Amino acid sequence: MLKRIFATLAALFALAAPAAAQSDAEWQAVVDAAKKEGKLVIYTATLGSTYHKAVFQAFEKKYGIRIELLEARASEIRERVRIEQAAGRFVGDVHHNGSTTTWLMTRDGNLQPHGAIPNVKNIVPPYAADDIRVPAEVISYALMVNRNIVKPADEPKGWKDILDPKWNGKILSDDMRALGGGAVFFVVMYDTFGKEFHEKLAAQKPVFSRDIANSERRVARGEFPLYLPFSLQDYNQLKGLPVKPLVPQEGRPYVRFDLATLKGAPHPNAARLFMNFYLEPEQQLVFANAGYNPVIGGVIEKVSDDLRPLLATKALGTTVPERQDAMLELAKQIYK
Amino acid sequence: MTVAVDLPDRAAAAPRDLSRYGRPAGIVLLIVLLCFLTLYPMVMLLYGSLHSTPPGIPGEFNLDGYVGLVSAENLVVLANTVGISLVKTILSLALAVLLAWIIARTDTPGRGVLEVLITLPFFIPPILTATAWAMLGNAQVGTINLLWRWLTGSEGTLVDMYSYGGVVWHMMQYSTPFIFLFVVDAFRAMDPSLEESSRMSGATRWQTFWRITLALMLPVTTSAFILSFIRGMESFESAVFFGTPVGINVITTTIYNSITQRAQPDYQSATALGFAAMALMFLLLVLQGRLLRGRSFATVTGKGYSPNMMRLGLMRWVTFAVCIAFFVLTVALPIGQLLLSSFFQFFGFYQLDMLTLDHYRDVFSNRAFWNAFANTMLLGVVGATATMALGGIVAYVTTRTRWRGRRLIDVLAWLPWMMPGMVLGIGFLWGFATLPHAIPIYGTLWALLLAYMALGTPVAVRVASSAYQQIATDIEECSRVHGAGWWQTLFRILVALAWPAFAVGWVLIFFGIMRELSASILLYAPDTEVLSVVMLKMWTGGKPEEVSVIGLLMLVLVLLFRWVQLRFIKKRISTL
Repeated sequence: MLKRIFATLAALFALAAPAAAQSDAEWQAVVDAAKKEGKLVIYTATLGSTYHKAVFQAFEKKYGIRIELLEARASEIRERVRIEQAAGRFVGDVHHNGSTTTWLMTRDGNLQPHGAIPNVKNIVPPYAADDIRVPAEVISYALMVNRNIVKPADEPKGWKDILDPKWNGKILSDDMRALGGGAVFFVVMYDTFGKEFHEKLAAQKPVFSRDIANSERRVARGEFPLYLPFSLQDYNQLKGLPVKPLVPQEGRPYVRFDLATLKGAPHPNAARLFMNFYLEPEQQLVFANAGYNPVIGGVIEKVSDDLRPLLATKALGTTVPERQDAMLELAKQIYK
Repeated sequence: MTVAVDLPDRAAAAPRDLSRYGRPAGIVLLIVLLCFLTLYPMVMLLYGSLHSTPPGIPGEFNLDGYVGLVSAENLVVLANTVGISLVKTILSLALAVLLAWIIARTDTPGRGVLEVLITLPFFIPPILTATAWAMLGNAQVGTINLLWRWLTGSEGTLVDMYSYGGVVWHMMQYSTPFIFLFVVDAFRAMDPSLEESSRMSGATRWQTFWRITLALMLPVTTSAFILSFIRGMESFESAVFFGTPVGINVITTTIYNSITQRAQPDYQSATALGFAAMALMFLLLVLQGRLLRGRSFATVTGKGYSPNMMRLGLMRWVTFAVCIAFFVLTVALPIGQLLLSSFFQFFGFYQLDMLTLDHYRDVFSNRAFWNAFANTMLLGVVGATATMALGGIVAYVTTRTRWRGRRLIDVLAWLPWMMPGMVLGIGFLWGFATLPHAIPIYGTLWALLLAYMALGTPVAVRVASSAYQQIATDIEECSRVHGAGWWQTLFRILVALAWPAFAVGWVLIFFGIMRELSASILLYAPDTEVLSVVMLKMWTGGKPEEVSVIGLLMLVLVLLFRWVQLRFIKKRISTL
């Protein structure tokens, strides 16, 4: 019996070894072709992120492939890609944007299959890649309180705690009626707790704002004691201010950022190589230390002590692109 | 002999041909240029407003975009937009005229310095003053309210920036210096003999100011009023910052919602709303035309004059105090806050252990900043110069000639001012991207330059035509009688006499280019990044402190420009 098992295993190894060698050779061909292309044009909706820039520079250094970066807001990136492609201008290679925009662009045919990428196998649920989209990093949402105003005993433990009358008129919120963190929060709370949660929250008279950087500072200055939803990737920038992020016990709403190859990309191999590089543990750790949730396993354990407990929480839910506009409309009705 | 007769004939025929064909050719060239700069992006937008999908996607023509505008919600939006803009324009005009009169026509002490200081707020990026005012004037912990509570012992709130008043006040900080810049040179260039006649005929100082001075200023004040009112209707930052949180929506925030705040951007509604706003503004222009028709406002004539100063006696300290109060409220308070904050780790947290020079170090060591700075300077200098040249010619054709086609030219030059910037930016994107690939505009600095020229032309034309209208035709006729050609007259007489106004126009356009974001973000390429895009990146990247460092640098630049400009103007006036 034992002999038979060994024989089977030996046969399997004998078959697998050439396959691995073959795929190694294939991937090496992609790497060589990418280096020959020598350039990569990335369209990204992460404006001004130093962490992303660090990863881009690491890629340039490792492979000698120059990166050109076009940064703009999600809808601006999408419109530029759309009109460029309609006019027969195929300039960009990699598209890096939120999952809703990427879903819409996949539907509209602005993206093309990326081909096999070895590191895709390391992606862990609830994130998953397909022929077009590769999960890149994840924005996770929490609550933020002013430490000077909110005592530890008064901190919300669960999401429903913010419905307590003591928070009436004291909540500053990213606008739930517009695309962004507020809208993600709206959908996830609606799916988790139902419409009633929002009706009660609306009765708390939250103040809406659309300038995230300013909102966070308004809470730090004590204008409001509570802000929601707080993007964990802003945590590092606020260190030193009297604010504290809290992930309620039910978990954190999240929104995924995706990588994809733009249709007619002039440097498709460099694009593929870049996506593979992006999923390496070193790069994912850069994002995790910046406050993003990584999309591969074995990274959170290595994250800095203050961020680890926040990131190692349950992923509660995310937006559904198909329902996005209907949900925005519902938010408008509830939060007048 | 025959040869001798033939030669002069041929030589004389050439200029005749030139004047016969040169003028229509010039007009055609001007119309073609303006059509490309202004009409072409508008046509793209019109297509967008009448088509169910944006260019490049199959769809159908319909009127859904316009039909959808008719709603009770939009009526409120319209009322808000017009109301806010009207209030802020009236208040700003009154304040700006008062300040301009003080600076240009009275013996108020320190006028030279005050003139520069008064105009400073216009040049600060609105997002920075909004941030500063949000700290100063929020209802809960705003510095002004804290001070008020401490002084009076009350629990109440003195100011709340998140209100209609807050939106109007924030907008006024831009429109007051804008109108001031427009009218101050007109005050200075005015022949005071009419005022003297009024005084000698027994009119009081106030009557003279109201009936003569202001009446003579009508073209320039109505121009400034209309420009400012329209700009107010297109203003975005004040409304989104201080209005949106309390449910005050205006046209631009509604357009912004349609384009960027929903999963599927609705370009048809956004462009239709843009055109509806444009129609409204066009009515205003017609009204202004009616108001000024058939009147003469020439005060700069061939006769010599020297603008005199009104001696105010002790009252000059009151006028001085007015200027200082304006400066403190609109400059010292918000800019002081920015300056202070730029030396601390975080905006508004003034703790000794947070003192730092990191923000300055980070900005100065940022390569992207320097690249963007170089691109912006190049685009600013070339763009402002080219736009003023174009504006000078357009204004000449529309105000000083009776050429056929001049009305069309006037309308073409006005178009970009009447379309909200964020919609126009899309028009440029659609227009330039769909040009044949052999025309290398899209993805180059040309795309930005042409967009900036289009956006700046209305200001250039208004500045130039207001200045021309003050110059009597006798000087021009004199030049022509003495044999000067069209170009010679334009440059040696009109531009020479109107150049202080041209210099103001140049500065307005230069800093307009430095601040422009809506078109820039849609047209820049990886190697043609500009300052406004870098500032947006810093802002969304959570570094408002670095944005204020750049804002302060821009202010230093403004001070330098204005100082040079005023020195030249003074020199010129003293030689008049």
